[in-house]
Amino acid sequence: MLVARGLGRRYRGVVALEDVDAQLYAGESVALIGPNGAGKTTLLAILAGVTRATTGSIAWADEAAPRIGWVPQRPALYQRLTPRENLRLFAGLEGAADADALAEELIGRADLGEFADRPAGKLSTGTVQRLNLAIALAGRPSVLLLDEPTATLSPDQRHRLWEWLGALREEGMALLFATQSVDEAMRRGDRMLVLTAGRLLFSGTSEEMVRAHGIGPGADAEAAEMAFMRLVAPAEGAA
Amino acid sequence: MKAAALVLGKDLRLLVRTPAVLLILVVFPLLVAALVALALQSDERRPDVAVVNLDTSGRTVAVGESRLSIDDYIARLSEDVDVRRLDAESAASALDAGRVSAVLTIPAGFISDLQAGVRQPALLLDTSRRSPIEADAIVRNLEAAVYRLNQRLAIGYVDQVLRLVDLVVEGGRAGFFGRTGDALGLRRSRALVTGVQERLRAGGQPGAAGELEPLINFIDETQRNLDLAKPAANAIRAPIELRVSESAQGREPLSAFGFAGALLVSLGLAGVLLAAAAISSEREDQVLVRLGRGLISAWALVAEKMVFTALACLVIGLTLLGVVAAFTSLAVGRWPLWLATLVLAGLAFGAFGVLAGALARETRTALLVALMLALPLLALGLLPDATVASAVSQVVPFGPAFDAFQTLLVEPSISGGDMARTLAHLALLAAVFGGGAALVVRRRFAA
Repeated sequence: MLVARGLGRRYRGVVALEDVDAQLYAGESVALIGPNGAGKTTLLAILAGVTRATTGSIAWADEAAPRIGWVPQRPALYQRLTPRENLRLFAGLEGAADADALAEELIGRADLGEFADRPAGKLSTGTVQRLNLAIALAGRPSVLLLDEPTATLSPDQRHRLWEWLGALREEGMALLFATQSVDEAMRRGDRMLVLTAGRLLFSGTSEEMVRAHGIGPGADAEAAEMAFMRLVAPAEGAA
Repeated sequence: MKAAALVLGKDLRLLVRTPAVLLILVVFPLLVAALVALALQSDERRPDVAVVNLDTSGRTVAVGESRLSIDDYIARLSEDVDVRRLDAESAASALDAGRVSAVLTIPAGFISDLQAGVRQPALLLDTSRRSPIEADAIVRNLEAAVYRLNQRLAIGYVDQVLRLVDLVVEGGRAGFFGRTGDALGLRRSRALVTGVQERLRAGGQPGAAGELEPLINFIDETQRNLDLAKPAANAIRAPIELRVSESAQGREPLSAFGFAGALLVSLGLAGVLLAAAAISSEREDQVLVRLGRGLISAWALVAEKMVFTALACLVIGLTLLGVVAAFTSLAVGRWPLWLATLVLAGLAFGAFGVLAGALARETRTALLVALMLALPLLALGLLPDATVASAVSQVVPFGPAFDAFQTLLVEPSISGGDMARTLAHLALLAAVFGGGAALVVRRRFAA
């Protein structure tokens, strides 16, 4: 569905991303994991079309480019508009034939009905994040890019969000989400891409990562965490 | 286009939803307008005076070695006031609209009265519906101008009179109505008469010689009186009189210049700050990057903010003009031109504000940057006579906006070409600053 080759990005001479390959297929959930400053946001921004890559290319398996939804880490929405107004506006901007109907549909899917007419700035973090995701869905995307979507959420908010993301995935949507949690990457992703200092260190399943570092045949959270640390430590040290 | 309209709808909704901002947008310009109008309403400024010349005779009056015409007189007046030559109807209308501070009428037969000296010629000054301070200043200026002219006329007349007295006393060659001849003069007349008297006495005609005595006495008396030349000096002490009249009607005084300045400061500040806040709030809400993903182009977003600002400037400007028209003596009028000017000025202020706002990272900084850029440039815009300031103010929207406001408020008659050039200048600046702002916003899309 989406094939990126040799992606790189420099900011005033500083390497933010270097020679990264990535693939994403329909209905797949891929975790993008790495410490702070690893280049996760840069990679997602390039794939979302927000930032231009200095090097590399992105190709689509289908003839037409997929519609890409983007969920930035900090909610990108109008704080003084209500969720309903935000959704109507972005649905209109995305070219929806009936923006009002789409907004109502998204309010229902995001479970925002109770809060739909309150200013977004006065809603809880979890509710705002659901609105942030709903806005990303206003373009009816087939690929969803999420930048640390659960970073500021409480466990129950996180659970609720993943339930919704799981449903979207079942509908065939491809997910690429950034996280700093090995546990979340393991549990929510079919595969993981490990980035450190702008370079892709690993691409595969958590079991493969654990095996590659000789920790054991299984892949529980602790083993995956250890494998991850062994993977990134040399690169971080070098950086 | 549809995207820009959607974002514009959002901006207007947010504006209406924020009563504090709305209140500031209405109260702030009114406050600024009042303060600036007061500050600029000074009697130091040269007043605009309409001159109505009803003396179309084209005659001139000799003043010393030269001759004085109405045009010379008006040229001398313009040393003290800004003269606008109008017909009586246009002058009355300009005075009524507050576009001139006074009307000075030169009555028919002014020059011939001056020439004949039979009737004292008078200039008529109407200062109706003006501020007492400004009216006093105009009267003072014109009195000074008339005083200087009187002095010059007096010197010329005295010279003429003395030459005439000399001619009457001493005799000599003189010109009258294009003819020249020899004037006898009193001294030579006396010599002739006394010579005749002596010859009569010598010829034994003492009675006839005695009859000439009263004539000799008359010549002596005339000569003594002419030596004093007092009647002539008294007659030319004040050849022109200035009669001042004030109409009873009139409301709160407000100078057109002061209001043009007030309009510039209030609209300029409100427009620039609103545009800067509008673009930086997109960024502060993190929405700019989302919009930049093909939802709207940088050009369309900047154009939308410019239109948003222009709409706000239009509402504020029309409110201010409405208040002025309703409660002050300044007649506004020219509404279609006002609409075009307010919209173009709003677009230009908006473009300037978006550029300033896009350069900053968040709203408070954007407002500070916009304020710091706008304030000195606004001040320069209010100094149209200073060459450097004027040049600088013409490369930002404030200079041409002030020119347009002044033209609409002050000029008794508007030249279509000049007004079109001023509006085109505003449109050009809106496009240039808008283009610059779009380039910056495009970079911010990727931030």
